Amino acid sequence: MTISFKQIEEKLKTEAKRLLESGQASVVLAYGKGYDEKHPMPYVARNPSDVANIVFNEYCNYNMARYLVRYPAGTKIAVAVKAADSRAVIQLIQEEKVKREDLVLLGIPVYGMKNPKTQEIIDGKTTGGLYNPVLYDILLGDEVHGQAIQSPYDVLAAYELMDKEARFAFWKKEFDKCIRCYACRKACPMCYCDPCFIDQNKPKWGDKSPQSHGNLMYHLTRFHHLAGRCIDCGECSRACPVDIPLYLFHKKVAKECEEMFGQAAGMSIEDKPALVNFRVDDSDKILE
Amino acid sequence: MSFEPKILGIACNWCTYTGADLAGTTRLQYPQNLRVVRVMCSSRINPSFIFRAFQLGADGVLIGGCHPGDCHYNTGNLYARRRLAVTKKILEFSGLEPGRFRVEWISASEGNKFAEVVTEFTAQIKSLGPQTKFKISQ
Ligand code: SF4
Ligand code: SF4
Ligand code: FES
Repeated sequence: MTISFKQIEEKLKTEAKRLLESGQASVVLAYGKGYDEKHPMPYVARNPSDVANIVFNEYCNYNMARYLVRYPAGTKIAVAVKAADSRAVIQLIQEEKVKREDLVLLGIPVYGMKNPKTQEIIDGKTTGGLYNPVLYDILLGDEVHGQAIQSPYDVLAAYELMDKEARFAFWKKEFDKCIRCYACRKACPMCYCDPCFIDQNKPKWGDKSPQSHGNLMYHLTRFHHLAGRCIDCGECSRACPVDIPLYLFHKKVAKECEEMFGQAAGMSIEDKPALVNFRVDDSDKILE
Repeated sequence: MSFEPKILGIACNWCTYTGADLAGTTRLQYPQNLRVVRVMCSSRINPSFIFRAFQLGADGVLIGGCHPGDCHYNTGNLYARRRLAVTKKILEFSGLEPGRFRVEWISASEGNKFAEVVTEFTAQIKSLGPQTKFKISQ
């Protein structure tokens, strides 16, 4: 089975038009043309006539759930969601950032998405090994079956085997590359704090210039703030201009959280985020 | 000169800090490497405190709170337990020696336990040597 991106695009246009015309949605978050085929852009359709600008192809990686929190409460929003993106929506609902009844989820079942920088297929590496949206109202195509489902954590094996010296050296080298452009947090659907802790002056948590120690503080704290919340879309890593594999660290934290708390982020709107929750019988072993 | 580690202790007001007081009033001996900061509850501890402590030169960080079920705000340490467990995993994956960070539940009546934990933890940090990975070099 192959995915027809063109077909998804057509369905996306049809649904967007219908929703805008009927007033069921006042904005549709989807994808639009960029300067070339490999660089589509996030696109917001507000009028039925905008719909012609919508595109969908294998480079439409953006997690459009990122933009949900920008609209005033009560705005009716339709949003195109791939598998990981739907998890971001679920997580935002859990965090009471958006309301389920304000959203129309246009689910996109898809595999074979590509990283425009490397041409690499990103499924399984960064999208949690899922192909079908976890939550949707309208599915734009048939559910994907028969694809090899990889564990989202497989890619971690090599890093978990490293001894701590090698791991420290690896991350130091990566974090030292960071130029503090904050594209990672801008791309992330779960990074909605205003101000971000790193922009605060009182207290000043870490240096703002791109030096080792400020970078370390920024990244370790960001990983912590995303614990139990990162839904493994991989957008932070793809947004990074210097290609720091942030997704590896996020995945590691996600894996530990899943093991310790028995729940993965953004899988059910009934869940509470793992770190604003507890069980009386949580074991002290998790602290060892 | 032998290595005398600097250890940051963060203790909740109601149990561990009071336990430390008890250790003092009962004249228990324990190493003087620990500097204790008092917070109202273990759930007050922002994980960035811990990262920052290591950056500012702590060789170890010891967190003390009430036993689960005994938190004076009922559920504070139940949240803290999950949060600090994540902190530990993050420190570990970043390559810091996991033995440099520890969480202990010590009640107000456990002066003995406080002294024992500090003694043991200090010995452990001594054997790990100075913490240089996170420390900001001057
Ligand atoms: S941290 Fe990265 S992978 Fe996780 S939700 Fe944010 S952008 Fe996606
Ligand atoms: S996107 Fe990359 S370079 Fe920019 S702040 Fe994030 S990690 Fe640093
Ligand atoms: S008051 Fe001691 S842990 Fe909450």
